[in-house]
Amino acid sequence: MHGHDRRKFLGLCLGGITFTLMGAAIYPVFKFLAPLQTRKSAGKVEIRQQDLAEGEAKFIEFGGEPAVVVNSGEHGLIALSAVCTHLGCIVQWERDKRRFLCPCHAGLYTESGEVISGPPPKQLPKLPLSVNNGIITVG
Amino acid sequence: MKIPTSIFALMSFLACTLVLAFPAPAASQTQNVCIQCHGSLEGRLGKPVQQWQGSIHEQDGVTCNECHGGDPKDAVNAMSPARGFIGVPEEKDIPGICGRCHIGVNRDYLASAHGKALGKGGPSCVTCHGNHAINRASLALINERSCSRCHSYERAGELKDAMVKTETLITTMEDKIDTIRKGGTDTEPLEKALFSARNQFHTLFHDVDVKKVQNESARINRDLGKIDASLEAILKKLHERRIAGAIAVGSALLAALILYLLRKTYEKN
Amino acid sequence: MKISKKTYDWLETRLGIEELIGKSLKGYLLPRNINFWYSMGSILLFIFALQVITGILLLIYYVPDAEKAFNSVKAIMNEIPFGWFIRTCHVIGASSMVFFLLLHMLSVLFMGSYKSPRELNWLSGFMLFTLVLAISLTGYLLPWSQLSFWATTVATNSVGTIPLIGDFLLEFLRGGKLVGPPTLGRFFALHVAVLPVTIAVFVMIHLFLVKRIGISTPPFGLDDTKNRWDDGKFRYEDHPGGIPFFPHYLLQDLTSIALYLAIFVFFVFFTPSLFFPADAFIPADSLRTPAHIKPEWYFLANYQALKLFPNEFIGIIVQALAMTFIAFLPFLDRGKEKHPLKRPVFTACAIGGILIFLALTIWGHYS
Repeated sequence: MHGHDRRKFLGLCLGGITFTLMGAAIYPVFKFLAPLQTRKSAGKVEIRQQDLAEGEAKFIEFGGEPAVVVNSGEHGLIALSAVCTHLGCIVQWERDKRRFLCPCHAGLYTESGEVISGPPPKQLPKLPLSVNNGIITVG
Repeated sequence: MKIPTSIFALMSFLACTLVLAFPAPAASQTQNVCIQCHGSLEGRLGKPVQQWQGSIHEQDGVTCNECHGGDPKDAVNAMSPARGFIGVPEEKDIPGICGRCHIGVNRDYLASAHGKALGKGGPSCVTCHGNHAINRASLALINERSCSRCHSYERAGELKDAMVKTETLITTMEDKIDTIRKGGTDTEPLEKALFSARNQFHTLFHDVDVKKVQNESARINRDLGKIDASLEAILKKLHERRIAGAIAVGSALLAALILYLLRKTYEKN
Repeated sequence: MKISKKTYDWLETRLGIEELIGKSLKGYLLPRNINFWYSMGSILLFIFALQVITGILLLIYYVPDAEKAFNSVKAIMNEIPFGWFIRTCHVIGASSMVFFLLLHMLSVLFMGSYKSPRELNWLSGFMLFTLVLAISLTGYLLPWSQLSFWATTVATNSVGTIPLIGDFLLEFLRGGKLVGPPTLGRFFALHVAVLPVTIAVFVMIHLFLVKRIGISTPPFGLDDTKNRWDDGKFRYEDHPGGIPFFPHYLLQDLTSIALYLAIFVFFVFFTPSLFFPADAFIPADSLRTPAHIKPEWYFLANYQALKLFPNEFIGIIVQALAMTFIAFLPFLDRGKEKHPLKRPVFTACAIGGILIFLALTIWGHYS
């Protein structure tokens, strides 16, 4: 029967398309639910301790972003993100005043990253830091 | 037929809650007595408010008192010198006032020939940037009409040429970021990177040393190239999504057509 | 082959599948002149199912905490594979649900299908409409963006204009004087638990009524288009010699759903920005009202209408009366005639109403 064949053919086409569409819907859902790959540990950065005298700050790149390590004497060594939390400019170290200044809109931070004044909404994020055999490791 | 009262009560309640959910115009505007009074004044005293509205400072919430001093919350003492009101600043004080926030720019300006000529016929900030109707700084500020108020345009033109390529690159990148953000992609890190590069670049605007401007521009161009590469990668991903979308739309339409034809085969019997 | 045949027979003797299909699918006859508009309900069911699925998926990564909500949505849009797809589907699905509900109601309105004995079908449908608007409104707050925060502030504000109890009600609704973290908690519970379950219950009531009373006969292509129900006692409206639901009308339903899917996917992939204003990507800031806060398109008419009244409370009363009028339409309109052209006064009023709604919507958009 001609009509019957036609129906069978259309049915097959429909089955194929439904299968494809279902696959196209299930794949994203599977990827969505699959556990996120743990983030690659951002490379560690090492500095020699003797390069960082008291009151000095050293700017480095850490995890793709500018960071800074300060030797603050009384607070010890501190590693901070150097990206101003206001609009993302890079803060500057004011050696004589022992504080960070953002040159864009005059945000001021203490040597441990707390906001002193200006527009920054929060403190500079702290970065993990360890010292071993005269080598400072950030990360 | 009588409507049961309970249903009526329930329906009215629902209709009410629904309607109540509809928004009314918002009426919250921060109280600022400077704007309240001067905004309604005519002429010289009212104009600054109109000019300020729509300016970059208005958008960023920088209001009258941040430059002119005074107290915007106290109508009586708003213009009292005791509250730091200074009114119209002296020309020599202008860079200091702007420099309270734009410290980097102020430093560059003071070091330049323009800054050194301050008070000796040289330009202050507002000479080029304007005061109340202040816009985002751009290269358009360097133009023959503006510069030739004081000197010939020749050197200024050279400086502008050195910077125009970078400026164009920044503008097109800002447009790209805008497109991407509208689709829901988080562009904040890229925006910040671009903003930072743009700021470094803009410090050159107050420098009048042609050689230095050319060198710095080249360095900033390299930084911008990196950001642009990430932008291009995102744009490519969005393009691929659209291709997948087109295929999905096509398949759904095809499915509709087949279903329609299938139904036709049953109609004949 | 043998095992599958055996399994089938085993199930058949216990469930009577063939009889079930024969009676309730092939034997479920629909009016001969049934049309495309009768598949709106299936489209809506499909949308609702998609909303439930995408909603549950979003629930996996969404964090209902004012501190974390915005960032969790940002992560869904940017970090989680296909998160953008799931969320965009959910957002656009919400809008299309409202849109197709309007189409469904309009087709029922013009074909006179709401007339007795189907008052309860209309009422339960109207309840579904209000519930869908409520679920859209509560869902709007969850991303905790500037858009969510201020749209909700503005939207809930009207409650405060009710005399005497307004302030109390407003505070109760928001869980505080202003929209804040407690509001998020409330709206979240309503959006993911209370409202979906209520909607599901009303969908079942609605479907039960449709099945129990029988499909209404469309007024087109017939000489006698009067309502045949005689107000006496319960009678199932059957359609002898009609079109079987299976496979005929099921294929029509599926065609409509496939067409809808094509349109839906088009919006998801090509115009997502239509559904995400710029403020949707800025975290909520309770100290900074953005300029030009507008509600979603389906609330624009009410938003604009409210601005036209000198007193907000009067505006609310008028709109509440209009909504109540629509809800009780089948009790008020007792005419027997169903064909839209044979009841010109009704049709003129309905078209006038639609035009006013459209005009207010456009005005609200550009105001």
